[in-house]
Amino acid sequence: MYRIRFHGRGGQGIKTAAQALGTAFFLEGFEVQDAPRYGAERRGAPIFAYVRAARAPIQERGVIARPDAVLVADETLVPVPAAGVLQGLAERTVLVVASSETGETWRERLALPGPVLALAPDEAGGPLAGMACAGAAARLVGVIGRERLEAAVREEIGKLGAAVLERNLAAALAAYDALAPHAGLVAEGAPVAAAGYRPPEWIELPRDTAHFAAPDIDAPATSVAAKTGAWRTLRPVIDYARCNRCSWVCGTLCPDSAIAVDADRTPRIDYDHCKGCMVCLAVCPPHAIAAEPERARAEAAE
Amino acid sequence: MSEAVIRSMKDLPSTHLLGTGTAMCAGCGGLQAVHEIYDVLGGRTVFVNAAGCMTLLATYPFTPFRGGWLYTSMASAAAGAQGIRDALDVLMAKGRLPIEEDLTAVVLAGDGSSYGMGLSATSAAIERGLDFLYVCYDNEGYGNTGQQASGATPLGARTATTPRGQRLRKKDLFDIWVAHRPAYAATVIGAEPLDLAKKIERARSIRGPRLILALAPCPTGWEFEPEHAVEIGRLAVQTGLFPLKEYVDGKVVHTRIPRPRVPVVDYLAAQGRFRHLFEPVRDDALIGEIQAEVDAYWRAVG
Ligand SMILES: Cc1ncc(C[n+]2csc(CCOP(=O)(O)OP(=O)(O)O)c2C)c(N)n1
Ligand code: SF4
Ligand SMILES: [Mg+2]
Repeated sequence: MYRIRFHGRGGQGIKTAAQALGTAFFLEGFEVQDAPRYGAERRGAPIFAYVRAARAPIQERGVIARPDAVLVADETLVPVPAAGVLQGLAERTVLVVASSETGETWRERLALPGPVLALAPDEAGGPLAGMACAGAAARLVGVIGRERLEAAVREEIGKLGAAVLERNLAAALAAYDALAPHAGLVAEGAPVAAAGYRPPEWIELPRDTAHFAAPDIDAPATSVAAKTGAWRTLRPVIDYARCNRCSWVCGTLCPDSAIAVDADRTPRIDYDHCKGCMVCLAVCPPHAIAAEPERARAEAAE
Repeated sequence: MSEAVIRSMKDLPSTHLLGTGTAMCAGCGGLQAVHEIYDVLGGRTVFVNAAGCMTLLATYPFTPFRGGWLYTSMASAAAGAQGIRDALDVLMAKGRLPIEEDLTAVVLAGDGSSYGMGLSATSAAIERGLDFLYVCYDNEGYGNTGQQASGATPLGARTATTPRGQRLRKKDLFDIWVAHRPAYAATVIGAEPLDLAKKIERARSIRGPRLILALAPCPTGWEFEPEHAVEIGRLAVQTGLFPLKEYVDGKVVHTRIPRPRVPVVDYLAAQGRFRHLFEPVRDDALIGEIQAEVDAYWRAVG
């Protein structure tokens, strides 16, 4: 059975990527399961989806804990613990990262035992990265023909119109073609029988009463501990020379309460929590706010 | 909480009471309205939250609120508010809660809940004269589960369950409330923060059943770039599609009369959920119908 996990951010088409790969497997005659993780389908938030495919009926259920391949559409997710990108990676797991850095760089950086491949990010950027990962996975398993992949993408995307379909087809097929030298690198994992099932190596915690296990939270606004700044791909930067100290526009309209205004009317952006929605940039009357790509900033800092 | 009367933009709160770090989408117009409401309303509140996107505000042990929060089923938020109100009254009657530490019960519910399943419990609560504030953030669909149609989905809008566009009319929740002769009812939008803040101040000073109905531009469900959340909200008001008004002392008063009204096409064309009205062929009949309904509304206002 093939067990494949896709990671990305809401808006990159991760759910659709899993559906496209699942359909391609199906067209090749496989039994298929594909599912997105429910509950966090928010733009910019970490999301994952997974596909199981086998020649026999699939009895396994739930999230894939021991993947044969993991495809990551957004490299900034790799170090985010909540995203769980590296969860269950074994020596035989193939990791693919959409990144301008090489697979070798990623392998060394993460000290991984297994193969790591890089997928040069599509020129069109974010929204097609998921589909590129689907194309890559289809090639890596080595059992999906190019025309089956194409048919699957048509089936999943066709309803969105010709222009969108063309872009998605191009992304999927470009990745499929680029990974030709690695066809078949991803091998099927052994079936897991309920009897021989090895549970994940979790830590047993003693059962406590609710009073201890889930104590009342009496502190106000504890949500600030969640750093949603990691969602951001663009960073709003205020040019204070241009800001006319209007005192309310960006501070009030920021949906996330992430801009506070000082006593002297200077707005301050809380980058630990700003999600990069860019509402502030759109509403600032003197256009004093610019968008800087986080990726470029990170590269400049290195 | 600001005790001062809000007269101009300069009086709007410059720092925020609602915590950052919540899981709402980047650019969420619902969160924008909720933070603006909370900044004025203050932390001496108990939120009763019907299942929907906003229930993800408080995910134990994290909460953006400074007071209590109760999660209810979609149908029973108003009944939950009755329970909170009764509990506070009993505690005060028994001398276990000082009168000056009384709290306000606030329902926070989406349109799916408010226009549909929750209507019966809400109607009964208004009928009993329950002292509570009901905040409905209306993103015109079941947002949390992938934007299926609700009783608030407007004519023509594409949702997951109306792939060729909604054929039914949006219910009028404001009028449904007004027919119950509540203590107060108002429509607000985060994109018009001064109008919103004045209405929250007024609602705060009144006892009894009070409605705040906030139109909530939803980038995820309405399909627009997050940065345009305010622009879309302003267009909803300027086109006359979303009238800003309040019901107080038995009369409905419009707090903003858009003049001249921007054509509804400007609002529709800015959102992916109406794209099928423009391509592949423009549906002038339906666009005309939407415009005619808006025109008829404002003709009746005079
Ligand atoms: C009785 C019931 N049916 C279905 C659900 C699943 N559900 C959870 S949130 C949600 C959407 C609610 O829509 P709305 O009230 O408009 O809030 P939004 O998600 O848009 O914020 C649904 C259907 C539920 N919780 N309860
Ligand atoms: S789906 Fe819409 S309403 Fe729900 S959190 Fe996202 S933007 Fe807000
Ligand atoms: Mg809704």
